[in-house]
Amino acid sequence: MQDTLLEKEVKRMGKQKGIFADYDPREDKIFRIIDNDGKVINEDYMPEIDDETIVQAYKHMLFFRTADEMAVSYQRQGRMYTYPPCIGHEAIHVASGTIMREQDWLVPAFREVGIMLLKGVTLKEIFLYYMGNEEGSNFKKANHVTPISISIGSQYLHATGIGYSVKLQKKDELVFTSIGDGGTSEGDFSEALNFAGNWKVPVIYTIQNNQYAISVPVKNQTNAINLAIKSYGFGIPGVKVDGNDFFAMYATYKEATEYAKAGNGAVLIEALTYRKGAHTTSDDPTKYRTKDEEQEWAKTDPMLRLKKYMDSKGIWKENEEELIEKYKQEVDKQFEEAENMPPYKLDDVFQYTYVDMPDDLRRQKAEYEQFLTWKENRK
Amino acid sequence: MRYIFNFPDIGEGLEEGTILEWYVSKGQAVKSGQALVNMETDKVVTDIPTPKTGTIVAIYGSVGEVVKVGSPLVEIEIEGFFGEEAVAEAKKAPEVPIEEGAAVVGTMELAGNNAIMAASDEGSTKQSKVEEKITKKALATPLARAMARDLGIDINQVIGTGPAGRVSKEDIQNYGQKNKAAVKTEPSYAKTLALPEELVTYEPLTQIRKAIAKNMVHSKQTVAHMTLFEEVEISALKKIREKYKAQQSNVKLTYLPFIVKATVNALKKHRQLNSQMDMENDRMIYKNFYNIGIAVDTPEGLVVPVIKNADQLSILQIAEKIKELSDKARDRKLSMDDMRDGTFTLTNYGSIGGIFATPVINYPQAGILGIGRLIEKPIVKESQVVVGNVLSLSLSVDHRIVDGGEASRFISTIMQYLADPYLMLLEL
Repeated sequence: MQDTLLEKEVKRMGKQKGIFADYDPREDKIFRIIDNDGKVINEDYMPEIDDETIVQAYKHMLFFRTADEMAVSYQRQGRMYTYPPCIGHEAIHVASGTIMREQDWLVPAFREVGIMLLKGVTLKEIFLYYMGNEEGSNFKKANHVTPISISIGSQYLHATGIGYSVKLQKKDELVFTSIGDGGTSEGDFSEALNFAGNWKVPVIYTIQNNQYAISVPVKNQTNAINLAIKSYGFGIPGVKVDGNDFFAMYATYKEATEYAKAGNGAVLIEALTYRKGAHTTSDDPTKYRTKDEEQEWAKTDPMLRLKKYMDSKGIWKENEEELIEKYKQEVDKQFEEAENMPPYKLDDVFQYTYVDMPDDLRRQKAEYEQFLTWKENRK
Repeated sequence: MRYIFNFPDIGEGLEEGTILEWYVSKGQAVKSGQALVNMETDKVVTDIPTPKTGTIVAIYGSVGEVVKVGSPLVEIEIEGFFGEEAVAEAKKAPEVPIEEGAAVVGTMELAGNNAIMAASDEGSTKQSKVEEKITKKALATPLARAMARDLGIDINQVIGTGPAGRVSKEDIQNYGQKNKAAVKTEPSYAKTLALPEELVTYEPLTQIRKAIAKNMVHSKQTVAHMTLFEEVEISALKKIREKYKAQQSNVKLTYLPFIVKATVNALKKHRQLNSQMDMENDRMIYKNFYNIGIAVDTPEGLVVPVIKNADQLSILQIAEKIKELSDKARDRKLSMDDMRDGTFTLTNYGSIGGIFATPVINYPQAGILGIGRLIEKPIVKESQVVVGNVLSLSLSVDHRIVDGGEASRFISTIMQYLADPYLMLLEL
């Protein structure tokens, strides 16, 4: 009897059994472990994870969500520039952040504050970044974190490049990077994954599919039945996961890292989630999505589900309100530290990209200096 | 210490925002991060939280007003005043902020908008119109931009001579010299005489007064006003009202709800009165909904809340709605939503005094009906002089839209309903 297409693919890609083999995106399967009530519905795949780690993960989510909400508030107070809220993405951030090791690389885009915090980036640095200060990209304690990439999709290329370098140097390092659903329509996405498949780089590519590219719904983004299926064109395994299910995300990252560490190359994970906030503080989602839709997705909230799970096991013993109060003070403290930093120098704006400043940057800098002099003399 | 919180640029180059709702009032203690006000901007509708903990001592701008980025929103006493002292302090007259604007964009001017104009659908479309007019954004150096702003030159009108049409400092200087007329100067209104303080009292214009002034002038300069006077004998309506008003304990049954109903019924038969002229697109807009604005006199000035879909309400429901809206108006609790999308307006000045008037249209609506004082006076009925209950009506119409004949027919229809209220019953 002839092998089915799936079996052929499994053989070709060297996958045996596991999440990536069992949840074939070509059949539009979705990998999930707990339901909306926090009940385990997929015992076979429940990862080995101790209670302490689960509680810690929830605390990270709580801290991160508190900080995220406060960041929006600071922006509205005029104390910080445009900020992209991450609320709703907590399970993806905290699952990958928990799995990542000190030596692993994070190549972040802009909606990844939660992962960055777990990699050792401080909130103060995040705030500085959104205040326009170059020091906000100078992560003093975090190892192997590149600066935030704002131009959509470019981080995938950087990750492929770093992955290639790590592979050539035979280092025990993995690379993690993320893109949004809208980013999958960028050329960078395809170029990066093509090389990733070809070179078998140790990179975990995530698509944080939060349903909207600013206002464009994902159904207008592609004719493919899902985004994970795109992995097949590049010859790498892909899987579609419930991104609001912490355990499913954790198990997927666990399997993905083992796959990559074994020298098999890259994987593509589509994590289904919902951006609960606006695209950025300059966006108003009420203009393009309905309250009903938001309420439907609210039932799948990653924190709500993890909390229900912990309650059913009786492992959550903290006072959540007190924790939030404590976190708020910490966030405020870090924000004020960022706010009280001396203003950055004009040089900072121009000097960090090139060793020798090219002519057009030199000219721009001169023009701005001219403006500052004029402004000074006018007083 | 006093802290003036200026409206921040919350959306990458915003110029202004409209106040939709205040959450705080003078004398109230606030905690940093607490929402002060709900604002609508080009980008988002959002709450603006306070950056400081303290007591609100002044609030600038009321619902419906447009605030420029960099202009003050509130003044907060951060420390020193607490409890009663702070409240007493808060009750003092607001000081006019004199702080130089730390504005991202331009001036400190608080542009008043539609305290009265809000009873129209104009506010919701205004911003997009502004955007349409901007055809190109000039490439320019920061210095050139700053100089252009200083000189009041629209930099987008300047032809740049630099690479890729970049506007330089020299281009601005040349443009300024060649086009003296194009350089905006301050309007040369007659300068106010500096009268000595003991002869006059100087008071800053309130936001609401500025808005009223602006909208009245705009209406008068745009609309061709024509006013028609009539008298209607309403003894039958008086009987009905007197019979039922005692039975209504929770709401005061005045003549106004009956007049609202009569007006709505008449608007349905005379659609020109429920329309607006769209000169930009060479068309008329006839509205198939009936939102009646009611002018309300408040100590701060005139406001016009709107009874939405008045055609779908009973007379009693209209009465309840009027009470609700006028209470809100007097407590300054009206939201932007309460005041917009009006299609026709009633002004019931007769409840205070006055028989005839020439009401000013609430632009862009097509008409406004003024209701005078109800008076007993001799009338001739079946060749006998008897005592009549006479209500005077003053209808102003936009003569660009409504011809004299149609105005007369409209007011006659209203009079029929008021003289014989049972007609309204037949049309239920």
